Amino acid sequence: MKNIFKLFIIVVPATFFIFFYFYLSEDKTYPGFQTDEFAFPNFYLETLDDEKVFLNEQDLPSTGLLNVWASWCITCLVEHPFLMKLKEKDVKIIGLNYKDERLNAQNWLNKYGDPYSDILYDPKGSLALDLGVTGAPETFLIHNGKIIAHYSGEVNERVWTETFLPIITKNNIKNL
Amino acid sequence: MLINLSHYMSILSGASFLLCACLSFLFIKHADESKTLIKNIFSNSCYLLFISFGIYVSLAISDDFSVEYIANHSNSNLPVFYKISSIWSAHEGSMFVWILFLAIWGYFFNLHKASNDQIKMTSIGIISLILFGFMVFLLLTSSPFTQILPLAPENGADINPVLQDPALAMHPPTLYLGYVGFVIPFAYSISFLIHEEYSYSWERAIRSWSVIAWSFLTIGIALGSWWAYYELGWGGYWFWDPVENVALMPWLAATAFIHSLKVSADTRAHRSWTILLALLVFSLSLFGAFIVRSGIIDSVHSFANDPERGLYLLAFCSIIVLSSLFIYANKYEKLSSKKSTLLSKQSFISINNILFITLIFSTMLGVLYPLIFEYLYNEKISVGAPFYNSIYIPITIIAAVFLVFSIEINWNGSLSKIKFLHPLSFSIIFAFVITLYLYQEFEIKNILLLISLFVGYLIIIRYLFVLFMSKYINIASFCAHFGLGVLIVAISLNSLLSSERVLNLNINETKTYKGINITLEQIKVLKGSNYDSIKGFLKVNDGANQYILEPEKRRYFVRGQITTETDIKVTPFKDIYVTLGDQLDDGSWIVNVQLNYFIRYIWASMIMMALASLFIISNIRRQS
Repeated sequence: MKNIFKLFIIVVPATFFIFFYFYLSEDKTYPGFQTDEFAFPNFYLETLDDEKVFLNEQDLPSTGLLNVWASWCITCLVEHPFLMKLKEKDVKIIGLNYKDERLNAQNWLNKYGDPYSDILYDPKGSLALDLGVTGAPETFLIHNGKIIAHYSGEVNERVWTETFLPIITKNNIKNL
Repeated sequence: MLINLSHYMSILSGASFLLCACLSFLFIKHADESKTLIKNIFSNSCYLLFISFGIYVSLAISDDFSVEYIANHSNSNLPVFYKISSIWSAHEGSMFVWILFLAIWGYFFNLHKASNDQIKMTSIGIISLILFGFMVFLLLTSSPFTQILPLAPENGADINPVLQDPALAMHPPTLYLGYVGFVIPFAYSISFLIHEEYSYSWERAIRSWSVIAWSFLTIGIALGSWWAYYELGWGGYWFWDPVENVALMPWLAATAFIHSLKVSADTRAHRSWTILLALLVFSLSLFGAFIVRSGIIDSVHSFANDPERGLYLLAFCSIIVLSSLFIYANKYEKLSSKKSTLLSKQSFISINNILFITLIFSTMLGVLYPLIFEYLYNEKISVGAPFYNSIYIPITIIAAVFLVFSIEINWNGSLSKIKFLHPLSFSIIFAFVITLYLYQEFEIKNILLLISLFVGYLIIIRYLFVLFMSKYINIASFCAHFGLGVLIVAISLNSLLSSERVLNLNINETKTYKGINITLEQIKVLKGSNYDSIKGFLKVNDGANQYILEPEKRRYFVRGQITTETDIKVTPFKDIYVTLGDQLDDGSWIVNVQLNYFIRYIWASMIMMALASLFIISNIRRQS
């Protein structure tokens, strides 16, 4: 019994450390970034302010970003200042409000500011499901009505310059 | 160049700590001959570090932007206070502060006259070794001394405006003082095991140190919570953010530890258990440093991701933690502890310690589960409030009940001696009546909430009996546990009564929410020293009194970041918490009104708990 206890207090922390070692040494420079091209799925959603209805990709800007966010998502709050910066550079960002309450989402935008040109309200996550979203935040790059790249996780200055910008230059996108 | 001087002195102090560690292990059996030498070397290494840090602070104050770190995190427009606090606003500088505090604790401990020189010398050696390890980490992987040569920028960047706040500027240093303070019980207990002088009461020697470190940790957590409440504009006080949890775990372990320490010091029971807790507290502090600084967790607190740092810290932490546990595993059986009687005070304390350990492991699971899940399935998930609430609420309730029982009994006494007409019975009746009243008044449906209120009031009333009826009163225990009672009641009432509402108001329009009339009087555009702002002037009338509240939205020049400055009217029972939103197309403004009940009592009770440490220290002084 005593030996089991001894073994236990050494082996349990050691297991943690070994796990962390594998976790850290795994090469995951940008595991969330994917560049597979696919067509925008069909959808029919109201906007967050309930004033407009969007039907399929023709109602979206042909080139721009789609950012999945929610007021319950802490990482979205961390990401938020960078989205505001993109907005100032006139990047069109469509918000996809994911599994959220209208009131909470509106509060959130009032508190922190609104980086989005339009926001789709997706309380059940139906469009998000078709897009293959597993969590918030996730950001999609739309070009000519198609998705050409997406990143799951926080987009910041570094992620932006190292993943999105090369794709944007490669596809010769001017007016994002 | 001054920065080079600061850099060299840090290198020198690191080398000198290594020397100190080597000497103390070399002369491990000859403490009498070597103690003056080791003591002096340790003090001098500390002085080198203090001077190095002092120079660094003076460079930050005098805006030396040739230092890359200062240029990136400070700005000549900042007030002096924030120039200093900019030092701990990012990874490199805060690591420097962390090491500084470690050295400060070591320095005072070194000066302190010890009751056992051998054990003290070896623990100084262990502290030196830890300092050396962190110093190498600082200098090799995260140097704050890098310069921008040949041309320094004219002005720095700006520190994140959200961080320009007095509570936040004080939050990391207080928390760090708490974290690293537990190096002393850690080093001392290992040293005690190494020397095998089992008759010596090591517990008495470090009680004051542990209690002071615990109160810093408590205040640090309270400050962070207070800041998040009024600055982040979320209106809550705890978010179960991974990094908050990482600070909560050492706090829980430390709370269990200082109780167990008291038991072992006074009755010599559970001695091996106390040592294990001492190791656990510091290990959890190191774990916290690792989690936050390796960047493996996304959070509002996390520093930039750098795998090299993570691997170094991981290696360093695992060496310290595993070697200390190895020593413990080999020696703990030789420690003879007295067995405690069933239903005695110490048995209740140990049951509560087990409950605390359960909380720590559940929290650990909540922090690590998303990581493990992501590693195995490459998908991100998050563990949030529902998980933690479902564990913390019942366990806290059970622990609170055991606490009340443990007040009733003396050391080695038994619960069965309590008579029917005892203050305990009256306390139960009073607490029950109050809870019943609240149940009627607010139609509470949530059964856990009712039980929480009941145990909270039970603790409060029981301690009031102690305060007014007993001949002997332990003020420290009163402060800490009365504070806990208030904390439980405040949290329960806060979750019961608080509410929020979004209003849209035109200028001079009045709307009513829960009996409070809110009028938007005017909106002004203002200019601050490093930001533009829009300020709303709201007249709030709650029937009895009238206040003007001035919530604000700021846009900072340098980063372009927009922040919300809430305005809060504090009344005895509730906060009226107002944030200003955007202007709508029809010209009206969005105003978010929150009524947060009893939220001040949450922090006040934490401060009260922390104050208990002062009484404990004066008690210990009187005894010795």
